[in-house]
Parts: sequence; structure tokens; C-alpha cells
Amino acid sequence: MTVPRVGEVNARARPIAPARRWWRARPSDAMIRVASVLVVLGIWELFGPLLNPIILRPPSQIVRAFADLIANGELGVAMVQSMRVFGAGLAIALAAGITLGIVSGRSRVIYNVLDPWISALYSVPSVALVPLIAVAFQYSGDAPRVATVVLFAIFPILINTQQGVRNVDPGLLEVARAFNTSERRLWGDVIVPAAMPFILAGIRLAIGRALIGMIIAEFLVGLAGLGYLIIVYQNTFRIDKMFVPVIVVAAFGIALMGLVQFVESRVAPWTRREQ
Amino acid sequence: MNRIVVEGATKRFGSGALTVFDGLELAIHDSETLCILGPSGCGKTTLLRCMHGLAHLDGGRIVIDDLEVRAPRRNVAMVFQHFGLMPWKRVSENVAYGVELAGLERQTIDQRVLRYTEMVGLTGFERSYPYQLSGGMQQRAGLARALALEPDILLMDEPFGSLDAQTREILQDELLRILQTPGVRGGGAPSTVVFITHSIEEAIALGDRIVVLTARPARVRDTILVDIPRPRTVASVVAHPRFVELRDHCWRLLRERLVA
Repeated sequence: MTVPRVGEVNARARPIAPARRWWRARPSDAMIRVASVLVVLGIWELFGPLLNPIILRPPSQIVRAFADLIANGELGVAMVQSMRVFGAGLAIALAAGITLGIVSGRSRVIYNVLDPWISALYSVPSVALVPLIAVAFQYSGDAPRVATVVLFAIFPILINTQQGVRNVDPGLLEVARAFNTSERRLWGDVIVPAAMPFILAGIRLAIGRALIGMIIAEFLVGLAGLGYLIIVYQNTFRIDKMFVPVIVVAAFGIALMGLVQFVESRVAPWTRREQ
Repeated sequence: MNRIVVEGATKRFGSGALTVFDGLELAIHDSETLCILGPSGCGKTTLLRCMHGLAHLDGGRIVIDDLEVRAPRRNVAMVFQHFGLMPWKRVSENVAYGVELAGLERQTIDQRVLRYTEMVGLTGFERSYPYQLSGGMQQRAGLARALALEPDILLMDEPFGSLDAQTREILQDELLRILQTPGVRGGGAPSTVVFITHSIEEAIALGDRIVVLTARPARVRDTILVDIPRPRTVASVVAHPRFVELRDHCWRLLRERLVA
């Protein structure tokens, strides 16, 4: 221990918690994020219309457009049309993708039957196939749009499920055999739980791609839904109204991702071991 | 009386290019703990897997209770080096796994889980997931899962090989205590233990007899009787005058083969 010399300030003599000036306080991450959004929206509101009054409509006007589109029912109709297509397409993609993923993950023969097709279709940009789908379904009803959503969403879920099933720890398969498992119990006890984190990650990717597929199908194929609203207001230069379906799709995507992440944390708590 | 008999067992890998063991002969008596000691990669684990019907021989046969081994049996349980716990099952569910597959009644399963979780010292951790436990505690759960079957024969594949030195010694003592508990050994379960290890000290501490295997292709180099009385603890074994002699003997047998 050193003895403080005369004239030296003793550290202990200082106040324990020096009063902080408010500008020295460390802002939290959330505060910075909120501030960032507010500042950009404020600049947009004040200066946007000065730069380009047609394209840069101020946020307050977009909020008003939101209210208008809700009031006249346009937004509601478009949302129902979009959600119907999105829901049906995603459901078909998940059911088919998980089923095909599981059987091709467990059977070498089925894997070899499917793999060339999956590889070929997955390496073509899905957008390039949308006109073909439109013609094949004769532009009629929801069918071509549902098919587009399926095309966009099926590959991530199929491939993830397949990898999950193929990557089951062989040590655990041996444990199951050592305790005389039946094939049925093997699925419930080992294969499905082991593949579950992969499947859920696949669902998360599939949701993102299904939303893209839905909007593209509404651009290119059908005269319905939120994507169609975007095109209509683009053509009529109602940029404030054009933002409304964009914001709705974004909010919907974020909400679904949050839901899947919540389910992931509930269903597979062992995958969060680093936390 | 012989419980497990290995007759001329031959196993090859890679379409015959690699001979793991060739004409191996071994007999494991009733109510003994037999430690199989051998250098790394000599096929000890493969031999144990064949004893449980998880791998098949290319020649010879293994007989348990006068029946040739073809598939895992209900009265034989296995403990794995990698613990082999299901990450998605809680400790109690992992312990229950074997007895559930054996198709016992719910009430019996619950009693067994309670009893063997307590026996291995995991009471209070029933609802934990494996990733929340240390390696030593995970292997306690692996042991409880095997014991819960109340098997006649316990096959242990380097169960403490991946644990640190202190934890390993604690678990060796626990295993000695469990196997020496009246009503466990001889009183139903598990009377015969086959324990694979590459640690000489572990083999002496746990075994009634030690079979020393040579490097690949594995042959029985020698069989050693561990004449240290039970009940034992690791400390009492190490302190016994015979310990150093037995260790030197085993060490010479292992080394002469490595040098040759």
C-alpha cells in the first residue's frame, strides 16, 4: 500500500457518484433508434416537399392517406385479397416442403429423385418463372398468385427440413437403437426434434420469400391485392397512397418474423445455449 | 458361470481393408465387473457395440445367456462416452427414455425415474435441460437412464473418458458405491458390468478382472485378476499395496506392444 504524499488528492475523498450532466448521460440503444427515425421523418416532413413535391410527400400526408384508404375500404379489400393468397400459398409451401424435406432427408432414393429438380428450380431466379405460371393458370382467379407464392416459399423450407433430417446426430440415433426404439418413436423422440430448429429457420426464410412472391404476383399476374394497389397509385402519381400498402406489407412481415422467433424460443430452448 | 462369451469374433472395416479384431476370445462371468483396457483405436468400442447388437461381426459370434446377440436386448443397458442425452428432453425425460421404450406402466416409470435420479445424485435437477448441466452431471443422467431399466448387464463405453480428472474420480466413486449398494448388485440389477477404458487406474479401481487388448488387430494380451477387496473407493484402491504392482503390470503389457 502506498501512502499518499502531501498535496496528493486522496481518491476516496472524491464523491462516490459525481453528478452527471444530462448531455453526458449515455443514451440507451432504444433511444438512439427512436431518435434516428424521428430525425429522418422530421427532415423529410420539413424539407422533402421543397426538393420534390410529387415524389417526397411528407409523412403527415401519408398518415392522412392511410386514414382515407381505411375509411373507403380500399385497404381492407386489398388486404383480404393479399392475405388469402399469402396464407394459402404459404400453407401449401410449408405442408409440401416439410413433407418432401422429411422423406427426401430419410430416403436416399427419394433424395436423388428430387435433388436435380430442386437444384435446377432453386438456381433459376423465381421471378423469371412467374410469367410461365401466369400463362399456365390462364391469369384466372387466385390460382396463379397462390402458385407464385408456393414457388417462392417452398425451397427454403424444403431444403432446410432436408438438411435438418440428414444432420441428426448419429450418436443419438445409436442411443435410440440401443434402447430398442421403434421407428415411430424414433421420429417423435429424435428426428423431428433434432430437425426442428432447421425447420423453424426454414419457415422464417419462407415467410420472407412468400411476401416477395405475393407482391410480385400482384404486380405481374393479378389485378388484386396490396401489390396491385402499389401499381395503381404509382400510375396515378398518388405517391402518398402508394406508401400505404408498402408500410402494411412491411409491418406484416415484421410481425410474422417476430411470431416465428417467439415460437422458436419456445419450441427449441436448447438451441439458445450461448445466451 | 459365463454371462457373455465372445467366440472367434472378427470385425473388418472398409470392405475388409482394416481388421479391427480377428478371432477374439473373451468370457465375462456372472456378477463381475470386467474392464477392457487397450490403446486408443484398438476396437474396444466396436467390440462393445457388437456385444449390444449395434454393430455386426464379420466372423465368430457373441453369446449372452446362451443366445447369440443380434439386436439390443431389454436386460442389457448401455452408457455412452458422448452421454447421448436428447437435448430437447429434460433430465427426468431423458432418464425415463429407456423405461418408456420398454413399455412399462406410467406409475413404474415415475418410481424408477425418482429412484435412479436420486441414486446418481441429480435430485433437484429433474426439470433441467442437459445443456444446463456440467459434463459430469450429464453423465450421471446417462447412468440413471441405463440403471432405470434395472438391467442384468451394464455396458459402459469409456463413460468418464471425456470428463476432467476430478469429476472422473468422483463419478468412479459414485459408480463403485452404486454397484456395491445391496439390492442393486445381485438384487436384480445390474449384476454384470463391462467397462471400456484406456485408463489403467480406472480399470484397477472398478474392475474385478481386467482384459488387456493389444493394438489393432486387437487380441487379448492378458487377463488380470484385481485382488483388491470390496467395498472399494478410488482412494482405498490407490492406497492398497497391490495397486502399484497391478498398475506396473498393466503398463508393461500396454507399452511392450506400443514399442514393438
